[in-house]
Amino acid sequence: MASDDALPTLKILLIGPSGAGKSALLMRYCDDEFDPDTAAATIGIDFKIKRLAVRGKPYRLTLFDTAGQERFRTLSTSFYRGAHGVILVYDISNRASFMSMERWFDEAKSNTVEDVALYLVGAKLDKASRNREVTQEEGLALAEQHGASFCEASSKTSENVRRPFVEIVNQIVQTPGLLTNATAKRRSGTVVVDSTTNNGYFSLPNCAC
Amino acid sequence: MTQLPYAVDAETPLNAAELNVLRAQYEKEGEMVGVQTKFNYAWGLVKSNVRADQHLGVMLLSEIFRTSPERRRECLYYLALGNYKLGNYAQARKYNDALLENEPANLQAANLRALIDDKVTKEGLMGVAIISGVAVAAGVIGGVLLRNLGRKR
Repeated sequence: MASDDALPTLKILLIGPSGAGKSALLMRYCDDEFDPDTAAATIGIDFKIKRLAVRGKPYRLTLFDTAGQERFRTLSTSFYRGAHGVILVYDISNRASFMSMERWFDEAKSNTVEDVALYLVGAKLDKASRNREVTQEEGLALAEQHGASFCEASSKTSENVRRPFVEIVNQIVQTPGLLTNATAKRRSGTVVVDSTTNNGYFSLPNCAC
Repeated sequence: MTQLPYAVDAETPLNAAELNVLRAQYEKEGEMVGVQTKFNYAWGLVKSNVRADQHLGVMLLSEIFRTSPERRRECLYYLALGNYKLGNYAQARKYNDALLENEPANLQAANLRALIDDKVTKEGLMGVAIISGVAVAAGVIGGVLLRNLGRKR
């Protein structure tokens, strides 16, 4: 598939707490597979490539599936370099996963360029009728507050699985300069260690310099 | 031909500044280095394209594997990855199989397994090619020598 290399390449990260369903979403979207038994927590980072046409134009998506577990967060932040979009995933049947999203928005924003495309996904929509702990309105409100798009989806039933990917690509290609700028500058130029709070985080000061 | 899977950590070395962040923290903590700091540095080293870094990374991971049972899962994965990058395929397979034994459905480990197998197959073929190349060369030289001998007679 040598011709794929010539396509414009978009880099998209999936982030969110452990167990929210990031890997399942990616697996359903890329391979159209869902296996309730493969719930092995991601080690460090996983990666998939998917070709997607939006408005008749093909793109090559490189999708980085980060581990949600706290102990891998330091490592995952190094993958923000050059990201065009970030998909933040929580579990609608788990209140705590939703409550942690502020922190994930913070992480995404402080490691990316100003106009990066953000998308919030409430996963496990199939549990809505019996175990919903977060309303759709709450999800939407949080997304709007952070300038992100939003939908709920189920990797189990496939409902809405394509939507976040199509919409975030649409958003990226409509943002002037994002395709060319993402690689050039993050919100801060260099990585620094914030020795007060952690051990060797790639933390980046929150400035648009 | 089906496309090979991809182990993202095998293909994405950190830049020098990022690796330095991890190294500096590791050195700062000295003898009392925390397991997270040590793991982070080892991970950065294993991702490097420099062999000496990869070696040191594998060494640190082996230590963490011994001292911190709760980290064994990721140590096995990155020990497999590090040895894969170093070309120690038998070792790589050993660690990866240990992980797969505990988590048969782990797709990352399954992908790494496919990558290791692919290398082993290719290098095996290369070995056959070299040996047959030598055999062909010997045949040609032998033939020439025989012919020369024949002429002299």
